[in-house]
Amino acid sequence: MLLHRLMSVVRWIVKRKKAEADLDAELQTFLDMAAADQVRDGATPAEASRLAALHLGGVEQTKEHVRTGRHGAWLDAAGRDVRFGLRQIRRNPTFSAVAIATLALGIGGMTAMFSAFDAILIRPLPYADADRLVMIWDDMSGRDITSKLTPTPAEWIEWRRLNTVFTDIASTQLADATLSGDGEPELVPARRVTWTFWRVLGVQPMMGRVFTEEEDNTRVRVVVISHALWQRRFGGAADIIGRRITVKPIAREGDPVTDEPYQVIGVMPRNFYFMPSRDIDIWMPASFPPWMRRSVNWHSDQVVARLKPGVTLQQARESMAALSLRVTAKNFGGPHPVIVTPLREEIAGKTQTALILLLSASMALLLIACVNLTNLLLSRGAGRGREVAVRAALGAARSRLVRQFLTESVVLATLGTLGGLLLALPAMRFLERLVPDAMGATRLTLDWRVLAFAAAAAVATALTFGLAPALRGSQGEPQSGLREGGRGTAGGRSHWFQHSLIVVETALAVVLLTCGGLLLQTFQHLRNTDLGFNSERLLTFEMPLFRYPDFDRRTAFINAAVENVRAIPGVISAGSINLIPFTNFANATFYLLEGQTRNQTAGQVALIRNVSRDYFATVGGQLREGRFFDVSDRTSSSPVAIVNETFATRAFAGRSPLGQRFKFGNLSDKGYWYTIVGVVKSIPESGVLDEAKPAVYKVYEHSDQIGDLNAGIVARTGVEPSSIVPAVRQAVWSLDKNQPLARIRTMEEIVDQQLSTSSQSTALLGAFALLALLLASLGIYGVLSYAVTQRTNEIGVRMALGATSSGILLSFGRRGLLLTLCGLATGLVLAAIASRSLTTLLYGFQPDFIPTVGMASLILVTVAALATFVPALRASRIDPMKAVRQE
Amino acid sequence: MEKLDVPQGTLDLMILTILSREPMHGYGISQRLAVLSQDHFRVNPGSLFPSLYRLEQDGKLKAEWRDTENNRRAKYYRLTAAGRRQLEQHRERWDRIRFAVTSVLEGA
Repeated sequence: MLLHRLMSVVRWIVKRKKAEADLDAELQTFLDMAAADQVRDGATPAEASRLAALHLGGVEQTKEHVRTGRHGAWLDAAGRDVRFGLRQIRRNPTFSAVAIATLALGIGGMTAMFSAFDAILIRPLPYADADRLVMIWDDMSGRDITSKLTPTPAEWIEWRRLNTVFTDIASTQLADATLSGDGEPELVPARRVTWTFWRVLGVQPMMGRVFTEEEDNTRVRVVVISHALWQRRFGGAADIIGRRITVKPIAREGDPVTDEPYQVIGVMPRNFYFMPSRDIDIWMPASFPPWMRRSVNWHSDQVVARLKPGVTLQQARESMAALSLRVTAKNFGGPHPVIVTPLREEIAGKTQTALILLLSASMALLLIACVNLTNLLLSRGAGRGREVAVRAALGAARSRLVRQFLTESVVLATLGTLGGLLLALPAMRFLERLVPDAMGATRLTLDWRVLAFAAAAAVATALTFGLAPALRGSQGEPQSGLREGGRGTAGGRSHWFQHSLIVVETALAVVLLTCGGLLLQTFQHLRNTDLGFNSERLLTFEMPLFRYPDFDRRTAFINAAVENVRAIPGVISAGSINLIPFTNFANATFYLLEGQTRNQTAGQVALIRNVSRDYFATVGGQLREGRFFDVSDRTSSSPVAIVNETFATRAFAGRSPLGQRFKFGNLSDKGYWYTIVGVVKSIPESGVLDEAKPAVYKVYEHSDQIGDLNAGIVARTGVEPSSIVPAVRQAVWSLDKNQPLARIRTMEEIVDQQLSTSSQSTALLGAFALLALLLASLGIYGVLSYAVTQRTNEIGVRMALGATSSGILLSFGRRGLLLTLCGLATGLVLAAIASRSLTTLLYGFQPDFIPTVGMASLILVTVAALATFVPALRASRIDPMKAVRQE
Repeated sequence: MEKLDVPQGTLDLMILTILSREPMHGYGISQRLAVLSQDHFRVNPGSLFPSLYRLEQDGKLKAEWRDTENNRRAKYYRLTAAGRRQLEQHRERWDRIRFAVTSVLEGA
């Protein structure tokens, strides 16, 4: 039945030409027959056809009744409206082009932003019930190192035993490994994970299996590898499961020294990833050495847990805060609470705020575009008063007129959306860079969710900009509309509405400009922050040192590698540091000042870095006091250290640290006493955006032989750093042809990468703000320009009566300026509110609100003045004679 | 005599009834309606044709162009099987309505 009806609708539409002809013929037959009957009853032929027509009651009306009475009639009417809309669009090419382009910008921007928002913040993460997953961190606020610190194994093992809110807890540790055999040795990101990892995340391997509790506890050498590694290194071999591979993870004290290979037992699916970054290639059993299970100060574990069903995040937070205080009551560097955060928040990081901000900005832009169109349509609608009056006089119902106006808007919005989708595609390529590192590589596509969003945006847009003009346009009374001889009939009452729209869009533009300015200021601040360091033309790379287990040989190898790199033509100087700056917050330990007792060390945490003697000279470190390392710092009988200013201030407030002695790492009697020989300006080792933490530098030779399975090399070049990369490889391989080199990049790349969220959100918001400014000034221009056209006649009369052209210029100028100022004032209030939501994107920086606001206001007023001046000037140049005659 | 408007919903029933005797064209139907209602009903083509087209669209009627006895071409409507079923249903309902209304009017 329904199908039948649907088919008949389709048939009617397909065969509408024939059906219309049919109807024509049928009505003609009716008329003929009726006339014939009249003639038979004695009427003259002329009278007969008049009577017949009378009987029929209007051929056109009857046809219309038949048309509207049919099923699918609305479709038909809509079709006609759409055709009418398209005709209107062709008839006003300039108007339409502006309208469609504006909408395309607005909808395209918002659609692209939504696709990023959706991919990063809405789509489920690739874990079972991912919104039940949380990460747990030690809350060390008030201490030196960082407020959010990875917990120690002993801590979370206690949590796992005692908590009441999680189904289970898992931990992962850094285990970057060197993979050798079958091809060149390479350094791959790896994690040691507890056997609970798989079930906490609720993930399954694509092939093979994951390891068991028993395998974890008994140190069975098995690994689960990533899909990427399987493809890249093993060519997607079908027999990968069971294969033995040579893997050398960062060794821990107490790990058995053996070359026994690891067996591959599983391959994870392509879309699997987990914190801290998407490029982890190997997961191996945590198999903690016994001392580590008891460790209370080895803050090495990233902890993830799954909430029990029914437990809320808040409950978990409260319960865990209390539990942690109990667990850490003694001996964990002092009692401290924990931070429990949803996994999604950890993965998205600051990108979350950036995305919310940018999506809002794109909405504001679309709103401005809508407001502009509303104004344009209102202006045009006023010009169409006569057409509407004619239609109304011919019997078009108001609802029909409203529908027709709205259909025109929908047609515009649809074309704008199509244009917007074309714009969105390249924009989405750019937005892919917003995907945080901790998340799997994501390709933004126009999938059904995004398309549905765009469609919804189009409809909402059409209603937003089309409704007011439709309601106003359709209310034209036939009489007055026709009487006024086709002159626009906007009248005074419509001005306040159009004017308030101008104020709205100006205000929105001010908000975007101000927020953009604040971000720009922050970004510049971040860019210009002295990192204690000269990052220009500095090439860096890392070398895993698994081939040099022996301490002396390792140190000798590093020194030789540095020498060889320095000898490359184009290299000015070279040095080495175990962890490249800005990339790592690992290697932090407690320290003990001479004269302190062991229990005074709570909260005294510093980053420890091993460097070569010429490291500081190479990176341009700035000496504050004392000296850099020199050739005399060779033997380990009297080890020396350089500390950063943060350390000096923290540990020796008001005193010179030079000559002071302290211990770190090994605080027992066996630990070395280090003498401070220099103080350097702080370098934010853990990341460009982080505050500098207390840091200690010592030369490799004075190391206490723990850790350091990697060495970073930095080389200052006089030439383009990338040009010497082959020479650098050669320099290292001439010492040891099997030595892998990893993460070859310039320091500027590292810095840019860390500032990318800031730079990208600044760039995007800036773009939105400029577009908003452009559209808002277009809006002011449009409305004033229209007013000038409408009032040409009046202006002519005024001028004829003695008004000067400067007077006319002033009167229009005043109006434009007043509107701008109203918008500015409203915008500033909104901007003050909006800027509060920006806080997380300001990275603790407090940008000056006043200059930003001043700048934004100045730009707006200037542009608005231009937009006002052009039509005002036109008004003042009206020739009274011509204008009056135009009547 | 002033003519009556056809009560809501009964036009379809009357059209189906008239066509159940023999296929007929639009003018014929309107004439037949006038005669059978003894000129009480005025059905103008503005109501008739929409009903015919809707019934055809619903598959109750089938239309074809044929020559009339006066050698004109006219569109003849005839009942389909579905139309006949519809007629029976409507007829039955109409009988009940008529019975119910009459009972009320006479019983009160």
